[in-house]
Amino acid sequence: MTYQRFILSQSIIFMASSMIFPFYILLLRNVGDSYSQFGWAYGLFALTSALSYPLIGKLSDRIGDQNLLLFYSLAMAVILLLFPIVTEVWQVYILQMTMGVLGAVQKNTEKTTLARKVEKVKAGGTIGRYHFWTSFGAAIAIIVTGYLVDFLTIGAIFYIASLLYVVSGIVLWKNNHSEKVKQISEQKRTADI
Amino acid sequence: MWKVLLFLFIYCGLFGSSFYVYEQTRSQPVVADAGRLLPVAVKSIEKADGEETLKRIVEKANETGDKLTIAGMQHSQGGQTYYPEAVMIDMKSYNKIIKFDPVEKTITVQSGATWDDIQRHINPYGLAVKVMQSQNIFTIGGSLSVNVHGRDIRNDSLIDTIESFRLLTPRGEILNVSRQEHADLFPYIVGGYGLFGVVLDVTLHLTDDELYEKKTITMNYSEYSSYFEKEVKGNPAVKMHLARISVAPETFLREMYVMDYIYADNQNELSKYNDLKEERIVALPKFLLGLSRYSDWGKNLFWDTQKKYMGNDSGTYETRNNVMRSDTNFMAYESSIRTEVLQEYFVPVDDFPDYIDDLRSALEKEEEFNLLNITIRYVEKSDQAVLSYAKEDMFALVLLINQEKSGKGIKRSEAVIQKMIDVTLDHDGSYYLPYYSYPSKEQLTEAYPRIGEFFEKKKEYDPDERFTNFFYEVYK
Ligand SMILES: Cc1cc2nc3c(=O)[nH]c(=O)nc-3n(C[C@H](O)[C@H](O)[C@H](O)COP(=O)(O)OP(=O)(O)OC[C@H]3O[C@@H](n4cnc5c(N)ncnc54)[C@H](O)[C@@H]3O)c2cc1C
Repeated sequence: MTYQRFILSQSIIFMASSMIFPFYILLLRNVGDSYSQFGWAYGLFALTSALSYPLIGKLSDRIGDQNLLLFYSLAMAVILLLFPIVTEVWQVYILQMTMGVLGAVQKNTEKTTLARKVEKVKAGGTIGRYHFWTSFGAAIAIIVTGYLVDFLTIGAIFYIASLLYVVSGIVLWKNNHSEKVKQISEQKRTADI
Repeated sequence: MWKVLLFLFIYCGLFGSSFYVYEQTRSQPVVADAGRLLPVAVKSIEKADGEETLKRIVEKANETGDKLTIAGMQHSQGGQTYYPEAVMIDMKSYNKIIKFDPVEKTITVQSGATWDDIQRHINPYGLAVKVMQSQNIFTIGGSLSVNVHGRDIRNDSLIDTIESFRLLTPRGEILNVSRQEHADLFPYIVGGYGLFGVVLDVTLHLTDDELYEKKTITMNYSEYSSYFEKEVKGNPAVKMHLARISVAPETFLREMYVMDYIYADNQNELSKYNDLKEERIVALPKFLLGLSRYSDWGKNLFWDTQKKYMGNDSGTYETRNNVMRSDTNFMAYESSIRTEVLQEYFVPVDDFPDYIDDLRSALEKEEEFNLLNITIRYVEKSDQAVLSYAKEDMFALVLLINQEKSGKGIKRSEAVIQKMIDVTLDHDGSYYLPYYSYPSKEQLTEAYPRIGEFFEKKKEYDPDERFTNFFYEVYK
């Protein structure tokens, strides 16, 4: 059950992020001024990601994957609200750096969760299925968004994606919640014995 | 549980504020014209889909105190069509052909119609426009308001061919304006940059579509004035004309080629040529122009190819309508940091060789200045419009300049352009107004001695300054 919820939340996250990424460039075009600025925006993203991986790795061991993923979803939901209203290139740079950190959180925790949850013997099949569901969600999202931008504005895409992150956050939270409840009742049971 | 609620509460607050700010910025559309040097947020853009809508827009602005600006295709390059926080009226959809009389050779069109709309309508009747730009992408309202000129050499400027028009005034009334009715307004509104109200529909005189034989020759700039007087103006069979002078380093402002459009002997073959031409595949000229943007050898190559291409064209035939719909696509230039701007200078025909010498010495020191093309045409003396640029029979030199969009780029262009305008004014010349506001106020006054009178009339006629634009606000 909890593993399925994990897949569900990740699929929603992938849907949301693949909604914005192809169209994100349109926004950059409106705000950015040159190819070198494009380069900077993406370069800063990759660089902050790189720098934050080691730290995030340690954090996930200390406070748990689920909590980090929950933090990621909610932080993304909030950050995306800023995208429609940026007007200057430096603001894009700052957002890109924040997204870099958050992206690292997602990538790292996704993997640690899989590593901790998946049985080693069946790892191939399980991870294959995991990628199937998440990529499937992403593919659907990209196609649907292509139509959506025709009807809505680019701004609206960011708002929808932000809401999706909230949903994935709620799914993760329920996951955490039910796991805790389970743990507590298990503890009770062992105590009863 | 309360944590979730708290998050959702805060999130909703953030969502709401973000959306509010977003809507706020979106409802203030940012516009920029063909110059791309002046992007600004306007209050709103209102589509002119009919006379009633237009009247309502003006009435409403009179109630709210909003400023109004008028936009056609926005190929003017100095914010003549917009102003920060003003309501911009978009005329493009106001484009019907109202009346066409092939016998009288007149046509009445709504001012958002383009020359292309007119050409498609009248070409089957064997008629053509008398005066317009070399290209057909502009609206009639935009063309009237700057009083355009083109390749035709037998009429002066557009004003010559305008019979009458209707004007929606700043008070919301509709007037018929012609050389007989409200005649005092006529010379202010033609070439008046949309400052006296909205031109609704315009009645123009047309002429016969004709077949021309093209003749191209190359020459040295020093021979051009006398060639023009004798072989072009002096030969009634020549109906249209244009020339180019080299901007390539090897032949800079020395070598020229000219193209004359001569009334052909075989007019009965007009129908073989009179299909309207459409934009062609533009890969080659686009590529060459692209090279010339970046390097001197590119400029040399572009010039040599152009000369050869034009030479090959000599002896071929083209109809009047087709001469007046030349390609524009190859000029399209997409760069996020640079842009291409136009300048146009008028000099008396006799002054041409001296003028070019002075221009050359002024530009020789300007290594950075990226000049891509100079096309030369002819305008006959015309003093009908108050803001008339052709004080005598003049050559009109159109300069295409590649520059940076940044503040620094603007400053650099301004310095060179003001210098070129000084040279032009020294030769009793003037310059064209639909471009970026590089010229100084003093230069404006010298080139347009009646500019004071023009602004006074504007203030008298539109005391609330309901209609405005960058040109007016910068120079008034
Ligand atoms: C590539 C290029 C080539 C050009 N070639 C030539 C040329 O060969 N000859 C030449 O003379 N000029 C030429 N020009 C200049 C051009 O003619 C002017 O910029 C012209 O105004 C463009 O028409 P538009 O429809 O884009 O007008 P806009 O730029 O939209 O408007 C120009 C002015 O007219 C006013 N206006 C527009 N419609 C109305 C209306 N209905 N009522 C009242 N005012 C109105 C606007 O407020 C503005 O002040 C060229 C410009 C470019 C960019």
